[in-house]
Amino acid sequence: MPQRIEITLNEDLVDAEGEALRHKARNYFGIDLETVRTISIVTIDADLSEAQVAMARREIFTNPVTQVSSLTPLPVDFDWIIWVGFRPGVRDNAGATAVEAVEDLLHMKFSPGQAIYTSKRYCLKGGGITRQDAEKIAGEILANDIIQQYAVYDRNAWDPAVGIGFVIPKVILDHTPETTTLSIDSDATLARLSDERSLSLNPNDIPTIRAYFLDPAVKRQRRAVNLGDPTDVELEYISQGRSDHCNHNTFGGRFHYQDLSTGEGETIESLFRTYIERPTLALKQRKPWVISVLWDNAGVGQFDNDTYYTITGETHNSPSNMEAYGGAITGIVGIYRDPMGTGKGSRLIMGSYGFCVGPRDYAGDLKPRLHPKRLLDGVIEGVRDGGNKSGIPTPFGQVMFHPGYMGKCLVFVTALGIMPAAINGEPSDQKTIFPGDLVIMCGGRVGKDGIHGVTASSATFSANTPAGHVQIGDPYTQKKMHDFLLQARDEGLIRFITDNGGGGLSSSVGESARFSGGCEIQLEKVPLKYDGLDQWEIWVSESQERMTVAIDPRHLARFMELSTLHAVESTVIGTYTDSGKIHITYNGVTCAYIDLALLTSAFPKWEFEAVWQPPALRGLTEPVLGVPTDVAGLLLDLLARPNICSKTWVARQYDHEVQGTSVIKPLVGAAQDIPSDAAVIRPVLSSDRGLVFSQALIPMYSAIDAYPMTTCTIDEAVRRAIAVGADPEHLGGVDNFCWPSIQYDPQTNPDGRHKAAQLVRSCKALERMCLAYGIPLLSGKDSMYVDGHLPGRYGETHKVSALETLQFSVTGVIDDVCRCMTLDAKLTGDRVWVVGLTRNELGGSEYYERLGKIGLNVPEVDPEAFAERYRRVAEAGRKGILASCHGIYRGGLGVHLAMVAMAGELGIHVDLSKVPADGALRDDTLLFSESAGRFIVTVAPQNEAAFAAIMDGQPAACVGEVTEVPQLTMTGTDGNPLATLTVELMKAAWKRPFGDLI
Amino acid sequence: MSAKPKVLVLTGFGLNCDHETAYAFELAGAAAQRVHINTLIKGDALLDDFQILVFGGGFSWGDDHGAGVIQALRLKTNLGDRLLAFVAAGKLVMGICNGFQTLVNLGLLPGNDGDYTRRSVALTNNDCGNFQDRWVRLAINPDSPCIFTRGIAALDLPVRHGEGKFYTDAATLKTLAGGNQIALRYALADGQPAAGAFPDNPNGSLMDIAGICDPTGRVFGLMPHPEAYNHITNHPPGPAGWKRTGGVVSHRKPRWARGFAFLKTPWRISAADAGMTDFFIAGVHA
Repeated sequence: MPQRIEITLNEDLVDAEGEALRHKARNYFGIDLETVRTISIVTIDADLSEAQVAMARREIFTNPVTQVSSLTPLPVDFDWIIWVGFRPGVRDNAGATAVEAVEDLLHMKFSPGQAIYTSKRYCLKGGGITRQDAEKIAGEILANDIIQQYAVYDRNAWDPAVGIGFVIPKVILDHTPETTTLSIDSDATLARLSDERSLSLNPNDIPTIRAYFLDPAVKRQRRAVNLGDPTDVELEYISQGRSDHCNHNTFGGRFHYQDLSTGEGETIESLFRTYIERPTLALKQRKPWVISVLWDNAGVGQFDNDTYYTITGETHNSPSNMEAYGGAITGIVGIYRDPMGTGKGSRLIMGSYGFCVGPRDYAGDLKPRLHPKRLLDGVIEGVRDGGNKSGIPTPFGQVMFHPGYMGKCLVFVTALGIMPAAINGEPSDQKTIFPGDLVIMCGGRVGKDGIHGVTASSATFSANTPAGHVQIGDPYTQKKMHDFLLQARDEGLIRFITDNGGGGLSSSVGESARFSGGCEIQLEKVPLKYDGLDQWEIWVSESQERMTVAIDPRHLARFMELSTLHAVESTVIGTYTDSGKIHITYNGVTCAYIDLALLTSAFPKWEFEAVWQPPALRGLTEPVLGVPTDVAGLLLDLLARPNICSKTWVARQYDHEVQGTSVIKPLVGAAQDIPSDAAVIRPVLSSDRGLVFSQALIPMYSAIDAYPMTTCTIDEAVRRAIAVGADPEHLGGVDNFCWPSIQYDPQTNPDGRHKAAQLVRSCKALERMCLAYGIPLLSGKDSMYVDGHLPGRYGETHKVSALETLQFSVTGVIDDVCRCMTLDAKLTGDRVWVVGLTRNELGGSEYYERLGKIGLNVPEVDPEAFAERYRRVAEAGRKGILASCHGIYRGGLGVHLAMVAMAGELGIHVDLSKVPADGALRDDTLLFSESAGRFIVTVAPQNEAAFAAIMDGQPAACVGEVTEVPQLTMTGTDGNPLATLTVELMKAAWKRPFGDLI
Repeated sequence: MSAKPKVLVLTGFGLNCDHETAYAFELAGAAAQRVHINTLIKGDALLDDFQILVFGGGFSWGDDHGAGVIQALRLKTNLGDRLLAFVAAGKLVMGICNGFQTLVNLGLLPGNDGDYTRRSVALTNNDCGNFQDRWVRLAINPDSPCIFTRGIAALDLPVRHGEGKFYTDAATLKTLAGGNQIALRYALADGQPAAGAFPDNPNGSLMDIAGICDPTGRVFGLMPHPEAYNHITNHPPGPAGWKRTGGVVSHRKPRWARGFAFLKTPWRISAADAGMTDFFIAGVHA
């Protein structure tokens, strides 16, 4: 008999969660609620006596100072009640910790199948609320039907004795696991079976797969283990291994690139090998700090003599687009496993985020699954809980709005770790596996999570069908595993470690088995969340918070002892071998027997047509605009643009100081409210050496050309790092491509050839920039298919594709964190300099966007010249003669002078005629051109001569000075006053759009 | 007994400030050891071997049922008597953020009337409705018996929490105020109380309470994170001698020490450089 506890806050306490719902109801839908009170419900499905439940209520679930609770429904006044609970199989983190607590309190163990489920009911008061309003609040704010169920009660429907009843979202599969074989009598048969079973086999791969299974030698070997036709376990394994996610078929594909302006064409055999691997390996040769790249879960760079740092980044777009909170928390917690699985394992030291979504105030006809406002709230909260609860600081991040992300949002997550250079005298970055080593799975259990991604969502739901294809990350379980594995590493117990992400065991075991040359796996040993999973499901499930570890059998006892100490589940699931085979059994019966070499054998390459038509040929031109007369009004409006304005509320929700390493925080300046150029942390507490981290995203330039989009993005990320004091000789990069579909199809993707050409150009630009700036690509990922089909007003659907987007991350080091620089103007009388040339480059700018234009003259990067300039700026920083340093980014000089003044809460007087410019430029061009390669620096008068000497030969000039009165005063090129704006006024405009959000 | 006092910093089950907390105590002259909660429960580490017990920050057990609640339950169920004996012996206990939440759920704070088991105060959801990371100015009660805050007037530290609103009934509040147990309050830049106003009072705490101690001053809990101010560069927007003059660094150590003033305090009240052990002994017999 299940039992239920209801808990709520004392009436005189603010119900923060209820208040948040009240605000959302008003902000999202204009529904006015008078009060909202939240009731937490704990439903215990276990054989506990009433006395035991009463004790748990008192000791665990009720705070005697702030809460009241009852085993019967609490009589809280309402006009409407909304109940929200999880669907079966969705990770209920609070339910899981409740079980731990009850077991501890009552000195008992829950038996399999027994559990605690948490849910909530909201008591809404408000005169005019209709059922429609209540349903809207339930379905569009509180619950996401993919993972949650809800019920709405009015006064008549609510029985105060019954309450919500007893809802037990338990998974009951009632299924006997079985392996099935699939016929391969023809290509057509296999293609049909692939469709039916959602295997997503590429039609071009099917002949290769069949040829393997039809090979007489293979058939003979398979007969020896009682196998004939391929099993579902085997085909699922091949499907996962050949997926674009695991195999990067796009970046490994063959591109036929043609430039229509020159008529020239070329064939590129692999974007990855040509533009990423080649320059990175060349740079590794001449940069001894590059330790390990291009093979492990994350790249490894040298931090100091005794320490390495690790970094990688990826995106979690499709899941976040379906279920924003769950997708984002799974994304950030998932990326944290990559550094944990790099080398012999590293400790996490920071994370960052990049969110690209539709306009927050979108009011058009298209109907995305989640409105951008709700979607953004969800991803912000997901990354918040994932990062904060992992104890990892999140000191940097960006939010970008553009209608192209309505089809699919982008959620970038990046993770950095640190590890000792040597562990037990062996290099920490290297790892291998010997035959006989044990295969161990650590962490969470396996359920139907993430199997076949979203294709599972079309399956029919019953009350006990697991809704596990969208997951909710569990940072608590992972943090315990993190601490455990680091201790095991330091005791020398770990031979090899990798994470379970996309493809689950099939990928982690399949890839690690290559190091020994084979493996034998006993699938029945894998711990499950619930019974009834087929063998193939166990093999490919993407259940989270799991690592795969190889250990020497001699270390098993100690490894398990530590695992128990840390309350982490670890299970031996097989043995690594050198048989050349992946051999999987279930209760002694073979269900897969495949040559490891199959996946690396000659599958056909993907092929793409890429046709480039330069922007001028596509009809893009510069707009014809007269000189604006209200420059002050224009600047204020630009400061309030969504992609410029303050997003303080996001940064403040993220713990950016845990671990005690914070140097340059996400918000800096006198009032700590202006975003910094880059983050700096001091990851080794006893050292003054700093790690610099920055990122940039400027997808808007892709509307003109993805080549300059790429050069400008990389340049901005580098300049951000230089601006805080990074050493230009140590810059590492991480490339994260997010692209719409590039495979041409006359009906479904008519501009595919253009998007493919944009990708080729972006990769060419990436290589050029990396070689010129000396940036090895420590890590990188690509996510294709950033498109969505959204319903419109009349029932039609619209394909919405994202701008071609590259997020570029830069790591750097600084010898002494006390030499770090921030952007805020420091002292009255300091001289204001602009370094770098301003050109007529308004194409794709925020200024043009404000006026509804795109233009043509997109900013260009001259990387060799810029690199020399950055060395000079870095030298000045190192010598301590810069009072502040800030890059000029989106919005141009005008916006960024405002940032420097606002950050310092001081004034700046600037004479535009002094700004180093390429020819005679108009005032609006000088103020709003987004030319790359520029900085604003302030220099104390006594340091100015030294700075000028360092800048000799560079386009750099003193353009004004810092003033006591906090206002930005600009004199035009004609010598007349152009505009005067107080810091107070600018800050008010800049904070207006999102200033009331907390 | 070694010259340095021994500090036990709890780890495990999601706690996450253990490294920097141990580092901070080392800086202040102690010998700090990170010990897993289960190691302590198993008896592989003994509380008796330590003089200071620290409940650090983090998210214990995910904090889904009230911050610090399950950690408190775990410790009470498995170590309850030993914890009480530790306090009764006059040893020092400190709780930071999640650790403060744990101390109030254990009843070790406020520990009035000699009762170290009763939950009479709470740290509940921030009034602003969300997790907040921001630096705050703290005013220190010079008349507090709190051993940790002696000799300090004001302090800047970061808060990083979603459940930091100090809450209790009027009678308990009066007792705490009367006994000068309110050691730390959120304040304006000039040191005046924040009077409940966000963001100077970041969570809506009654009476701007940021930290309290028991009547003896030996058990101390606070929401802000002193261990996160372990270097001059932690402080925003940067001490006047650093960032605002642009690059000239002349006083990194003295400035840095300010954040640890209360950890350094023992040095001041003990015999010169004899170490915190002397302080500890002095404290016991004071």
